[in-house]
Amino acid sequence: MAGIVISGVSRTFGAVRAVDNASLEVGEGEFFTLLGPSGCGKTTLLRMIAGFTELNGGEIRFGSERIDRLPAHVRDIGMVFQNYAVFPNLTVAGNVAYGLRARKVATAEIERRVEEALALVQLTGYGTRWPHQLSGGQLQRVAIARALVIRPRVLLFDEPLSNLDARLRVSMRTEIRDLQKSLGITAIYVTHDQEEAMSVSDRIALMNAGRLEQVGVPVDIYRHPVSRFAAEFMGTTNLVPARMVGRAGDQFVSLRPEALHLASDAPQDWPVLSGTLAHVELLGPIMRLDVKLSDGTVLKAAMLDAPDRSLQAGATISLAYDPARLTVLP
Amino acid sequence: MKLGVPHNLRLPVAIAALGLLFLGLFLLYPLFNVFSASVLDADGERLTFANYAKILGRPFYRAAIANTLAIGVAATAITTALAVPFAFALARLPVPGKAAILAMAALPLVLPSFVSAYAIVLLLGRSGIVTQWLQSWGLGFGSIYGAGGIILVYTLTLYPYVLLPTIAAFKAVDVSMEEAAQGLGSSPRRTVWTVTLPIVMPAVLAGALLVFIETLENFGVPFVLAEDMPIFAVEAFKLFIGETAPNPASAGVLGVLLILTTALVLLVQRRFLSARRFATNTRQAPPILRIGRPLQVAATIYCWAIVILALVPFFAIVVLSFMEFRGPVLHPNFSLANFGGLFDRSLRPLVNTLVFATLAAACVTLIGVPIGYVVSRWRSGVATLLDVVATLPFAVAGTVLAIGFVVSFNSGPLVLTGGPLILVLAYSVRKVPFAVRSASAIVHQIDASLEEASISLGRSPFQTLMRVVVPLMLGGILSGVVLTWVTVASELSATVVLYSGPWRPMTVVMFQALEGSGAGIATAAASTLIVVTLLPIILLYRLVRRYELSML
Ligand SMILES: Nc1ncnc2c1ncn2[C@@H]1O[C@H](COP(=O)(O)OP(=O)(O)OP(=O)(O)O)[C@@H](O)[C@H]1O
Ligand SMILES: [Mg+2]
Repeated sequence: MAGIVISGVSRTFGAVRAVDNASLEVGEGEFFTLLGPSGCGKTTLLRMIAGFTELNGGEIRFGSERIDRLPAHVRDIGMVFQNYAVFPNLTVAGNVAYGLRARKVATAEIERRVEEALALVQLTGYGTRWPHQLSGGQLQRVAIARALVIRPRVLLFDEPLSNLDARLRVSMRTEIRDLQKSLGITAIYVTHDQEEAMSVSDRIALMNAGRLEQVGVPVDIYRHPVSRFAAEFMGTTNLVPARMVGRAGDQFVSLRPEALHLASDAPQDWPVLSGTLAHVELLGPIMRLDVKLSDGTVLKAAMLDAPDRSLQAGATISLAYDPARLTVLP
Repeated sequence: MKLGVPHNLRLPVAIAALGLLFLGLFLLYPLFNVFSASVLDADGERLTFANYAKILGRPFYRAAIANTLAIGVAATAITTALAVPFAFALARLPVPGKAAILAMAALPLVLPSFVSAYAIVLLLGRSGIVTQWLQSWGLGFGSIYGAGGIILVYTLTLYPYVLLPTIAAFKAVDVSMEEAAQGLGSSPRRTVWTVTLPIVMPAVLAGALLVFIETLENFGVPFVLAEDMPIFAVEAFKLFIGETAPNPASAGVLGVLLILTTALVLLVQRRFLSARRFATNTRQAPPILRIGRPLQVAATIYCWAIVILALVPFFAIVVLSFMEFRGPVLHPNFSLANFGGLFDRSLRPLVNTLVFATLAAACVTLIGVPIGYVVSRWRSGVATLLDVVATLPFAVAGTVLAIGFVVSFNSGPLVLTGGPLILVLAYSVRKVPFAVRSASAIVHQIDASLEEASISLGRSPFQTLMRVVVPLMLGGILSGVVLTWVTVASELSATVVLYSGPWRPMTVVMFQALEGSGAGIATAAASTLIVVTLLPIILLYRLVRRYELSML
């Protein structure tokens, strides 16, 4: 186990700067997520740590040991792939034992550790099964057990849940996080799903076009995005000209939908904006509103559903916002 | 950081280096020597184009070139015209016995075509059985010697090259496209012409060009059937055998011209080949069309007739080999004398054939599979170069490669002539393209992240290749071994140039019996060859069936 230090790492493919001068420090035992839209370089950065992609510049260290020049197979990394990459010609137990055999662990100990690892991912008794007899979720558990059992210094996940259905995704992400925390292994997790990232991560690095846009605790990035990109990628937001909310300058401010309330429910001293209700939708507990202001701007608002509230599209409506929840963007 | 090669490229670089070393030494170097022989004077000292002028100035050799091309074009056209409807019938019409037809249709690819040619001579030749029988009824037909017979044999033995990929293409046609066309008011018949055929065209052309290349390179069929008609590969062989000067300049000229022609066709072929891969991404096979009874009967007869006609010559040879020959004259009595004559003297040729085929199959696999792996996994200039060089033997007639071997390994640091190794090496080089292509097709289907998973779990790239990739490729590799083994056992064109003394394989025994008057021995040798090539295929049919398409 060790922390990871990434300093000034770059990689280009032809004219594409897949990763551009990225520097990061991941603490020991931390669950760290690389988040960003498709093509922003998450996988490339992860694969550089794993040793499958060469660096053009910079260095990567595990603790004090520099590893970016080491061959991938001696880096001692547990990697979990998007498509599971379970060996189809080995049983579940054979898959889990693979890394132990490579390390020449004694047979009896292999058996014990394989059992233990399968128990960790709730697959006790599945050792003799073949991969084609398992569901996607079970395959991914095998892959996780296989990565954990070697007690790697670092765990790497590349969108491990994106081939699973929505419900399973939610339950497995908690499982992965719990496992990682109980074993205390430093983990880097790649996803393009903002909600998934916020739910599991200690810290997130938001990536955009090969650069690190913002690094921080999920809540901080959500509440205090440093750029338009960060504000928009981390959940839904309203980007409005600063002047509209009574601020000077021609910057934009981010105003989260949940910071907008019906004026009637809000404290007296909150500023009020009026418009017509363009669209209402009730998504279970949450109600979403689109409000068209007199100058044509559409604001998104979200609030908890309340039984006595009846809102009709076309009605005139007043919204108040919490001035403390405005973020001015550069 | 040795040599500055990044660690995750060391394995592909090492494989590429070894592959290029092997192919450089046993392919490019011999070819270079053929080329330099053609541009040096008779003593091998001065640079000259006189050899080209001399050969191309002789009407005889100009005729050889023209004949070869004309026969090739005719055979390709006829083969294609026969095979495309055949493929359509098998893919889309209710023809009974499809599995059997398919199994039998693939056989001509592995059976030796010169055996078919020889059977045609025994049946339809000047004193052929059928000829005499017809004459006894006062009937006659034109001579089968020359272009007619050669084209006939090419058609019967090479049609699977067009048939098999075309069937696959017909099956891969997206049904929704046909449905869309019919929804727009096109009749089913019109849909076939305007929608289906254009889609399968790349596969047809790819197959047709393979046929054309085969006809250009083939030595055995024209050797048996051409008689006075000059043919490229045969004349190159004769020139080389007859050349007395230390520098085989004239044979070199023909060799270079032959390589240039086939390489040109191959280049065109490769363009279509990539299109063909695209066409075989099957989702759901299109439905069998409903047709009237008469059409169904016609289609059934058509398919079975072609398959059976192509195998009749081989069957005939086997039957004839059990009859009594007195000199060239056949007597219709059962006899084992031919096999007695063949094996009494020595079992050595048969043993040679089996040993050479086994060694070459092993060698081809050891070289071709790693190259196929690199070609499919590693996108880079070196990998492309490797791919091109490894495909090159396909464009080199066996005769020409063998001439290059003799010139290269007759003296100097590496002397191989006169021994068995030179045959094994020549076979290996000739079959490498097949192994490479089939291996790279299989590797293509293995998810690369399996290898990365193995590496991250602590296995080196080489261990990963051996423990993950090879086991997953095993079926394909074994099938490749069988096909290599079988085709090496019946290789003739390089063999006749390279064999020596005790190292005669079965093909040479047959070849020599043809030249003499030992029709009995020749049929026995031909039967033996048929058994040797057919037996492994029958035994491992299920395995070979699954992978054989990728070998094309
Ligand atoms: N081997 C490669 N060759 C060429 N370009 C590449 C290669 N790998 C990645 N790229 C390019 O680098 C950029 C970053 O790719 P990367 O796979 O890291 O993105 P990603 O953030 O993982 O995206 P996704 O969410 O779609 O997986 C992309 O523009 C991609 O096209
Ligand atoms: Mg990715």
